[in-house]
Amino acid sequence: MNYPIWEIDVLGGPWLIGVISCVHIFVSHFAVGGGIFFALTEAIAEKNNDNKLYDYLKSHSKFFMLLTTVFGAVTGVGIWFAISLVSPDGTHVLIQNYTLGWATEYLFFVAELATIFVYYYTWDKISKKQHLLLARLYAVFSVLTLVIINGILSFMLTPGGWLESKYWGHGFFNETYWPSLIMRLLIMAALAGMYALCTGALLPKKTDADMKHRTWVLRYASKWFAPLFFLGPIIAFWYYKNIPAVVTENIASGIQTSGVGNFSIMARVIYFSLIVSGTILIYVLVGPYFNPRGFSFTNAMLFMCCGLLVTSMGEWSREMLRKPFVVYNYLYSNGLYVQKIDKINEMGFLKFSKQVPDSIKALAQEEIAGSKEAGEFMYKQQCMACHTIDGYRSMKLMVGERNEKAIRSFLEMMRSKDPEKNQYIKIMPPLVGKGYELDALAKYLHSLGGIKAGH
Amino acid sequence: MIEKVSNWFNDRLNLKAWADFAAKKKVPLHKHTVWYYMGGIALMILLIQFVTGGLLMVYYIPEISSAHASVQFINSQVEFGWFFRSMHSWGANIMILVLFIHMFSTFFMKAYRRPRELTWVTGIGLLALCFGFGFTGYLLPWDEIAFFATKIGLDIAEVVPFIGEPMAAILRGGMEIGQGTLSRFFLIHVIVLPVALAALLGVHLLLVQLQGMSEPTSFQKESKKDYEPFFPDFVLKDLMVWMLVLNVLAFLAVIFPWGLGPQADAFAAAPAGIKPEWYFLGMFQFLKILPAHIGFIEGEVFGLLVFLLIGVIFTIAPFIDTEKKPATARFLEVFGIIILISLIIFTWWGFSA
Repeated sequence: MNYPIWEIDVLGGPWLIGVISCVHIFVSHFAVGGGIFFALTEAIAEKNNDNKLYDYLKSHSKFFMLLTTVFGAVTGVGIWFAISLVSPDGTHVLIQNYTLGWATEYLFFVAELATIFVYYYTWDKISKKQHLLLARLYAVFSVLTLVIINGILSFMLTPGGWLESKYWGHGFFNETYWPSLIMRLLIMAALAGMYALCTGALLPKKTDADMKHRTWVLRYASKWFAPLFFLGPIIAFWYYKNIPAVVTENIASGIQTSGVGNFSIMARVIYFSLIVSGTILIYVLVGPYFNPRGFSFTNAMLFMCCGLLVTSMGEWSREMLRKPFVVYNYLYSNGLYVQKIDKINEMGFLKFSKQVPDSIKALAQEEIAGSKEAGEFMYKQQCMACHTIDGYRSMKLMVGERNEKAIRSFLEMMRSKDPEKNQYIKIMPPLVGKGYELDALAKYLHSLGGIKAGH
Repeated sequence: MIEKVSNWFNDRLNLKAWADFAAKKKVPLHKHTVWYYMGGIALMILLIQFVTGGLLMVYYIPEISSAHASVQFINSQVEFGWFFRSMHSWGANIMILVLFIHMFSTFFMKAYRRPRELTWVTGIGLLALCFGFGFTGYLLPWDEIAFFATKIGLDIAEVVPFIGEPMAAILRGGMEIGQGTLSRFFLIHVIVLPVALAALLGVHLLLVQLQGMSEPTSFQKESKKDYEPFFPDFVLKDLMVWMLVLNVLAFLAVIFPWGLGPQADAFAAAPAGIKPEWYFLGMFQFLKILPAHIGFIEGEVFGLLVFLLIGVIFTIAPFIDTEKKPATARFLEVFGIIILISLIIFTWWGFSA
C-alpha cells in the first residue's frame, strides 16, 4: 500500500519467498544442529581418542562449512531481497520493531561464520582440547542466532502483548516463543543427523575396521532423530495450544471439509507432513540403524528429499497458519494495517494509497468507476500479494464464468469483516475502498476473461 | 521374556527354518538391481488395495439408485473416507503402472528364461487380473464417466469373434448396462478376482522363492559377482522403498483427492471426449484410428486380433526364447521395444486427442 509492487507472473510472490525460504531453512537449521553435532561428537572422539572419528568429522566439517556459509548466506540474502520487494510493509514492520534484534543476530551470525572458518582451518594445527572448544563456541553462537530469530518469527503469528504495549519484549517473548524454540532445536538435531547420514554413507567399506567405523557413524547419526520423535509430538501440542483460537478453528474447518475440498489445503498438507514424518522414522530404523551395511549414498539422498519435503511443509503450514496476516491482527498480507481499515473505507483506497499514479488521481469518481486502469491498480495493491493473473491462485480461475455484476456482488461480500457474511475473512484480508473503486476493480477483473475450472 | 515368546512361536511355527531359508537366499548386486524392487512394490500396493477396498465396502451400496450416493457419503461424511477412497483409486493406477514396469523389466532382462517360465506366465495372468480389477472397479461409483466408459468397453469386447457376444452379455447381465451389470461387476471385483488373484499370487511368490532372483546375462559373465542376503539386508531395503512409494501414493491421495462425477443417467447423451482409464487408453486409441474394414475383417476385430497376438507372443516368450536361439532372442527384444514405444505413443495420443 505504501510501496511500489513487484509483479511476479505465474509463480506469485508468496511462492518465490516460499521456495527460497524452504531451501534456506533446510541449510540454516543444519548450521545450528550441525554445530551441536560437532560439539558433542568431537567430545566423543576426544574421550575415546578415536582417530577415525576425527577424520570423519574433518571431512564432514568441510562439507558443512561450504554448505552453510556459501549456500546458507546466499539464500539468506535472497530471502531479504525477496521479502523486501514482495512484502515491503511486512519487512518495514519487522525491521522497525526489531532493529536491535536483527543487529544482534547479525553479530552472532558473523561470529558463527568466523568460528566455522577457524574451526575447519585449524584441524591438526591446534590441540584437540582447543579444537573442541572451538566446536563448542560455534554451537553457542549458532544457537544464539536461533534464540533471536525465533523471537521475531514467532512474533509474526503471536505478537501477544505487543499489540497493546508496542514494547518489543512483549512481542519477542510471546506465547509460542518457547515451544517454537524447542521444536526448532529438535528439528535441527534431526537435520544434523540427516546430513551426517549423507557423509557417513560415503565412508569407505574396504576393511572390517572401515565397516565397523561406518556402522558406528550411521547408527550414531540415526540416534539424532530420537529427540524429535519422542518429544516432537508433545512440543507440537504445546505450540498448537498457544496459537490463536481462530487459527485452530481454521485447521479444524479444513479437516472437516477435506472430503469436499473447501479451505482444506492446510489440513491436507498437515496430513501429508505427518505421513512423511512417520516415514522418516521408519526409514531411519530399517535403513541406517538396522541395515547400515546396505545403506547407500543414494538412500541417504532420498532420505534427504523426505527431510526437505517435511521441513518445507512444516514451514509452509506455519506461514499458512498466519493467513491472512503478516503480523497477526496488525498487518494484513497485502500491506493493509488492521487499524486503518475503517479509515480507508471512509476516505477511499485511491485517496489513501501513496502509490496512486497521477493519471488516476486526476479522475472524477464516476470516471474511476469505469476505469480499468484504476481497477488494475486496486488489483495490484490489494490482491496481487497472494494472487496472479494466470498462475498460482489464478484470478482468471477465481472470476470463472461470472459476469461483471456477479463479480461486483462478490467484491461487496468481501468488504465485510463479519464471518457470517464473508466466509473468506478468515483466510483473506477484507476488501477496502469506496463503491466506485470496487466498480473499477470488478470491471478490470471481468476484462481479464475468466476461465472455467478444469480448462 | 522376549526369548520365551520367541521360543514359543518357534516351537509351533518352526520360524528358524524360515529365517534360515530367507538368509540363504542371495540377491545379486548389479546395475539392474533396482528392477528387483518392482514386484515388492506391486505387492505392497496390492495389500493397500485389499485394506482400503475392505474399508470402502463398509459403506458402499452396490445398487444403482444408491451406489453414487454411497460413494458421495464416503467422500464427504465418513471420517477420512475420501482419503481411503483416494488411496484405493490412486493405488489401482500406480499398481498397474508398477506392474507394467515389472513386466517390461523382467522381459528385457530375460528373467523369464528356464527355469522361470511358470513364474512369467503366472505374472502375465496377474497383470490380466489387475486389468480386470481396474475395469470392474471403474463402474462401481456409478458416475457418468464410469457408466459410459464401461459401455464402450463392453461394446468393444462384444466384437471379439465367437466369445465376445456371450461374454459381454454375461458381464452386462441384460441388454443394457444396469443393476445386473453393477451386481456382476461388484461380485467379480470383491470376490472372484481377489480369490483368483490370491491363488495365482501364491503360486507366483512360491516360484520366486524356490527359484531365487534371476541373474542377467551381463552379470553371469562377470568374474567377481557380488551378492547380499535376501534377509535381512534386501528386505530392509525393500521396506525403505515401500515407504517411499507409500508416500507418493499418500501425496496423490491427500493433495489430489479422487473426485466423483455426476450420477450416471442411462438416458443422457454420452459426455464429449469420453475416454477409458490410462492403461486401456493406448489400445483404445489404436482401435479408434483403424478404418471400418481392413480387407475382409472389421477394423475393431482386426485390432483385437492384433492385441491377442501380442498377448500370445508375450506369454509364450519363455518357451521360444532360449540361449540356443539368439535370433529369436533378438526378435523378442525388438518386439518388446516396439510394443513399449507404441504403448507410450498411443497412450499419449489418446490423452491429447
